Amino acid sequence: MTPNTVATQAESVKNGAVAITSAEGEDAGFASLGAGLAEIRKLEGVVGYIMRGKNSAILDLPEGGEISQFAFLSHQLNESSFEIAKQLGVTEVESVLVEGEKLKVISMKIGENKVSVFMEKSANHVSIIKRILI
Amino acid sequence: MAEDSSITLQTVIDEFRSISPELTKCLVFKKDGEIMASIGNNIGEDRSKIAACFDEIADQAEVLGGVEILTIHGASSQIEITRTNNHYLAAVASLSANEKIVKALTCVIVPTVIKLLDQVKPALPNNPPPEVAVPVVKQVEVEVKPPEEPKSIVKLPEIPAAPSEPELPKPPVTQFMVEKIGGLMVAPDIVRVDAEVVAKWIDLYGGREITHVQIETLEAKTAICRFKPMREVDRKLKGIIQIPEKILQVLRTGEGKLVMVKPFIFKLKEEQS
Repeated sequence: MTPNTVATQAESVKNGAVAITSAEGEDAGFASLGAGLAEIRKLEGVVGYIMRGKNSAILDLPEGGEISQFAFLSHQLNESSFEIAKQLGVTEVESVLVEGEKLKVISMKIGENKVSVFMEKSANHVSIIKRILI
Repeated sequence: MAEDSSITLQTVIDEFRSISPELTKCLVFKKDGEIMASIGNNIGEDRSKIAACFDEIADQAEVLGGVEILTIHGASSQIEITRTNNHYLAAVASLSANEKIVKALTCVIVPTVIKLLDQVKPALPNNPPPEVAVPVVKQVEVEVKPPEEPKSIVKLPEIPAAPSEPELPKPPVTQFMVEKIGGLMVAPDIVRVDAEVVAKWIDLYGGREITHVQIETLEAKTAICRFKPMREVDRKLKGIIQIPEKILQVLRTGEGKLVMVKPFIFKLKEEQS
């Protein structure tokens, strides 16, 4: 999925609600992972998440005009971090964490699905990773 | 960066390797891939590609407030990447490595060393800092250093220094609060100092003419500029230094901030004759 597609989907989620676009063709893992993320979203410090499957995406992000920025970052993180890992001889990437001045994001690939969870810097990302992997 | 900078960086990461042997690979490199320092084998990767990938993420990370650190967790090792002053640090450590030590290296020590080396570099004789003239203040030149410069110096090069002048008393340092002054009648390169303090300086230096002061901010930015005693009408203002906008910009400070001020005595050749 291209970032543009994600951004277009994100535009439709103005009120921060969860949006599921065409769940056709997704496996059972997609649905259960989505359910897990919905629970993670309720944790203190978690500001939103993006999950992209083969044909579908679920976004639950804060309101405002930043939704496309979250989507672009999520996409870029998936693309670039695997290349960095490859260059440095780390073949199997389990998770990627980017810490900024305001927020941090973890990005993971679970089967066919790519997940990015955005959170406050004080949030416990280790426990969130564990919950995603359950 | 000069060769001695590379040696310094190499020493730092070698030390960390000895503290944390779990650090299997560590490299400091430039955007073009040039290695400044490294440990570990197989560092022949396409480093410019690593830099480009990091930049691509950083470009999209405005929503996070930029990228302070990128951590990639693998099955048996983890990568940490940071960027400081166009230098990239990539550290690969096994998962058993002490996270605090690795973070100290990637987030604190190496970035600090890089910043310090960048600050020191312009001061080296072989690397004179670029000078940019300030058009409004005709008598002064502002020394502009690279992004992380510790000091901005306003100097008056037309007054040559004499090497063997009689020793003068150490200039007393006085703390003042900044007040901004402006207007048509205000010279943009002259600050106004509490007249009582000026009188004390003149006493200290035996009536010697003092024309300049050195102002230093709490952020260690300094400027040397001309001064006048404060006007009669402002004499009631104690502990205040009045500084024009142009000099405030050079010092990167503003009204209400504290500065340290001391008289600046030029050693004139004429005095020798």
